[in-house]
Amino acid sequence: MVTKKFTRRRFLKTAAAASAAVGLTSYVRTSHAAGKLELGFWDHWVPGANDVLTKLCNEWAAKEKVEIKIDYIPSQGQKNLLTIAAEAQAKAGHDMLALPTWWPADKAKDLEPVDDVMKVLLADNGAVSPLIEYLGRVDGRWIAIPATPGSQIKGPCGRIDLLKQHAGLDVTKMYPVGAVPDNALSENWTWDAFLTAAEKCHKAGVPFGIGLGQTADSVDSMGALFSSFGAELVDAKGNITVKSDAVKQVLEYMKKLVPVLPPDVFAWDDASNNKWLISGKGALIMNPPSAWAVAKRDNPKVAEQLWTFPAPRGPKGRFQPYLPYFWGIWKFSQNKAAAKSLMLHISERSAVEKMVAASQGYDIPAFAKLNDFKTWADEGPPKGTLYHYPPKPGQILSIAGFPAPPKIAAQIYTQAIMTKLVAKCTQGGESIDKAIGWAASELQGFMRV
Amino acid sequence: MKKFLRRKSTIAFAMALPLILIIALLVLYPALYSIHMATLNKSMEHFVGLENFAFLFTRETFWMVVRQSVVFAVSAVVFKAVIGFCVAHFVHNIPVKGQRKWRGMLLVPWVIPPAMSTLVWLWLFDPSYSAFNWTFEHIGMAPVNWLGSPNWARFAVILVNVWVGAPFFMIMYLAALKSVPEQLYEAAAIDGANWWQKLWYITLPMMRNIIAITVLFSLIVTFANFDIVRVLTSGGPVDQTHVFATWAFKVGIEGSDLPLGAAVSLFMFPILAVAAIFILRDISRRGTEN
Amino acid sequence: MKEDRRRAMIWSYVFLCIFVVFFLTPPAYMLITSLKTNAEISAAVAPWWIFAPTLDNYVELLTSPTYLTFFRNSALVSVLVVLITMAVSIPAAFALSRMKFWGSATLATGVFLTYLIPETLLFIPLFKIFVFVHETTGIQLINRWWVLVVLYPTLTVPFATWIMIGYFGSIPKELDEAALIDGAGYLQILIKIFIPVALPGIIAATIFAFTVSWAQFLYPLAFTTSTDQLVLPVGIITTLIKGDVFTWGQIMSGTLLGAAPPLVIYAFLMDYYIAGLTAGATKG
Repeated sequence: MVTKKFTRRRFLKTAAAASAAVGLTSYVRTSHAAGKLELGFWDHWVPGANDVLTKLCNEWAAKEKVEIKIDYIPSQGQKNLLTIAAEAQAKAGHDMLALPTWWPADKAKDLEPVDDVMKVLLADNGAVSPLIEYLGRVDGRWIAIPATPGSQIKGPCGRIDLLKQHAGLDVTKMYPVGAVPDNALSENWTWDAFLTAAEKCHKAGVPFGIGLGQTADSVDSMGALFSSFGAELVDAKGNITVKSDAVKQVLEYMKKLVPVLPPDVFAWDDASNNKWLISGKGALIMNPPSAWAVAKRDNPKVAEQLWTFPAPRGPKGRFQPYLPYFWGIWKFSQNKAAAKSLMLHISERSAVEKMVAASQGYDIPAFAKLNDFKTWADEGPPKGTLYHYPPKPGQILSIAGFPAPPKIAAQIYTQAIMTKLVAKCTQGGESIDKAIGWAASELQGFMRV
Repeated sequence: MKKFLRRKSTIAFAMALPLILIIALLVLYPALYSIHMATLNKSMEHFVGLENFAFLFTRETFWMVVRQSVVFAVSAVVFKAVIGFCVAHFVHNIPVKGQRKWRGMLLVPWVIPPAMSTLVWLWLFDPSYSAFNWTFEHIGMAPVNWLGSPNWARFAVILVNVWVGAPFFMIMYLAALKSVPEQLYEAAAIDGANWWQKLWYITLPMMRNIIAITVLFSLIVTFANFDIVRVLTSGGPVDQTHVFATWAFKVGIEGSDLPLGAAVSLFMFPILAVAAIFILRDISRRGTEN
Repeated sequence: MKEDRRRAMIWSYVFLCIFVVFFLTPPAYMLITSLKTNAEISAAVAPWWIFAPTLDNYVELLTSPTYLTFFRNSALVSVLVVLITMAVSIPAAFALSRMKFWGSATLATGVFLTYLIPETLLFIPLFKIFVFVHETTGIQLINRWWVLVVLYPTLTVPFATWIMIGYFGSIPKELDEAALIDGAGYLQILIKIFIPVALPGIIAATIFAFTVSWAQFLYPLAFTTSTDQLVLPVGIITTLIKGDVFTWGQIMSGTLLGAAPPLVIYAFLMDYYIAGLTAGATKG
């Protein structure tokens, strides 16, 4: 604990010196100007989770004598995207905003570099995955720090009873509480095994509910699938590589999977798979624990049979669909030093632990040393249902569109090219080549600057 | 000076000034700025002229959106007009005392804010919980993939739009019906005309103006519709229910390309202006005839 | 003849019943769902029946300060917008319909054409305008509910003006000529003669302005962020739907309560509304 404070104080001194040098009015405690800070955080759906963050910020504000105002901005109705777009355009608004996945890279030139903050955090909290660097670091500079609230993994969440009964899968044995995954069983948890299980559950009347719409849940599921086959739509250099065998393989696979999914998955939004699972109609969905949490309240019988576990393995590895949030400071902010100090405060281990607990285990911290909190082992019923939710060694965190340059990948993601590709050659009845041709043309359009 | 202030045109101008100011500052100026924005590149750093528009012309999705918007607007307006017309007749046919309460009940869809009533429809069409599908299954019919199959999704969007807008047409036509003199119908009845002939030769001609105006107004508003498509399908599945406003939002805000979004939105203007000119000219021509 | 009339009437009632079912099914479903508990909604049992009715959804909303703030904001905005709309439209309509001045014909058509410009196009430039206003005058418009009072008139004034032009146009010119001869000024003519005669039209325009303001979604979504500044449609959607969790019971009750004010106003003033909307249009 003491080490943390030292680190921060050392940082504050450097920051104060730096900003004094530039002539900015800083918030330094000893000086007269405490300053104001306007914060825009992600509106958490777990009741009470926002309050924990508010409390942490108020604690910090009281100590540093900064006047803060917090808005909790929902992602519903793309309100957060509207805010980001408008504030970047108008160069006015909040000082610090929660930025979803692709937006730090997209707004890099409007964001204040936070290398100094990241240096401290990496030293204290451990390393971050290459994916976080890919999203948060542009031209060698960190332009946002990974945020805990809102960061989630959308791995499988399945019914223990139905999977055992119809698909012969004992997920509690494959991924037991408090222990490492059973080696043999988890090695066999491949996409082929997934398909077989899906077929069996479909026959038994409780199909898997894998969305193929255009919202994040659907795109993330496909992203993990594509990545695990090594199917890149655009490579890291920006070349269009959609006309590849790997992509064809994935589409062939989906042509086998789609018939055993509910017919309306192409219209599913982020809430549809939750409803599918909670109503008891399905055996498995790919979703963070929000479905389980709501089931706890509305359909406890279903909830106590739910188990969250890692995604299946493909030829190129086991990829977990990951959706990180970031916190960034606008360049036009008048109180950047204060914002950076706040960033440090809410990224401390104790703060993160509180936020994870308040989110009932939903939030995933990005730093390696912060993935061992007790919350995940303790949440239930059934107890330990979230133990295998946070990332473990051997898993690769993925996002649809990686490793394309972030601005292009963001388009692949928001325009849901992967799910549309699948829709075209399944529901749309087009040939795989025709669908790929369409995708190539769309990707060409994304190359615009 | 006093004479100037007392002059008719000065007073008139002063009275119209607030209107002019509101439109100039809050509509015209932003619109012009948007046109300027549509000529910039994605990062809004360079001027690229009409490149955004040229780019849109090469996009398959763009032409799909044009087609969908036109089909959506035209079919929704036609249905609204026909339903409004028929229902107006039915209300007109029942005794005047009872008309008030029927009118009230039939106005309800128009009065509830569309963004909120669309949520109810979303729930009624929900893949897992659709009350309609539940009813279908109970009477032995197959459940309908309301929002997941492209054609049903388009139907659903048109249906909700018709539901929201038909009352407006009904009210306008009902009042117009009331203003057609009874003597005309009586005279026609004496001549042996049946209901169809009465409709075609008396009712429709008398109502031509009001029909034209309501159709025009509704075309414009329906074409630019955002709320209903956004809440119900967000343009899906696979962009097959996107209309201009929702696709502009997707491309501009979610895709972080504001100039392209502005270009998409701007496309609506010429299409609507052409329709407006045609219909308004038709009305004024008939006005001078009369 | 009488037999024909009766048959037409009976068929009318039959069809009216069918249409009423079509029009009122969603609101009825709203009501049914709003009286259910969350558990019953999730359980996917018979949707048209309520097994365990509860008023919890309504109670939670009516005792929630957040929801009541939405109501208050919506009411304030709508009332203010109606006042502004009337203050702008009535004089403008009078000027455009009675007092021809240079450019009045163009202005009349131009007013109508503003509807061709969609909101989705305007809100980013408007954002920049508001920031400019804030920087030059210190008035903060962004994320304040009163920005809507500035913006909604762009949506209500054109149509209200158009209704009023139609209505004023149907007032016989002899009235103002007589008044002019008596030495009345134009303002007096407007206030003493036109407004009383055109009152139904004015009421119609008022109701229209109120309904449009109450139902707005995109502008409040874009310009208001803090929970205490939101109006009803945006408030319901952003607070009752979080991430991928919909609380349908409360959404339905919130929507019904939110639709109540317009419904009540319509119930009382419907006749005026209909008379006003149509008289102007058909006679013009």
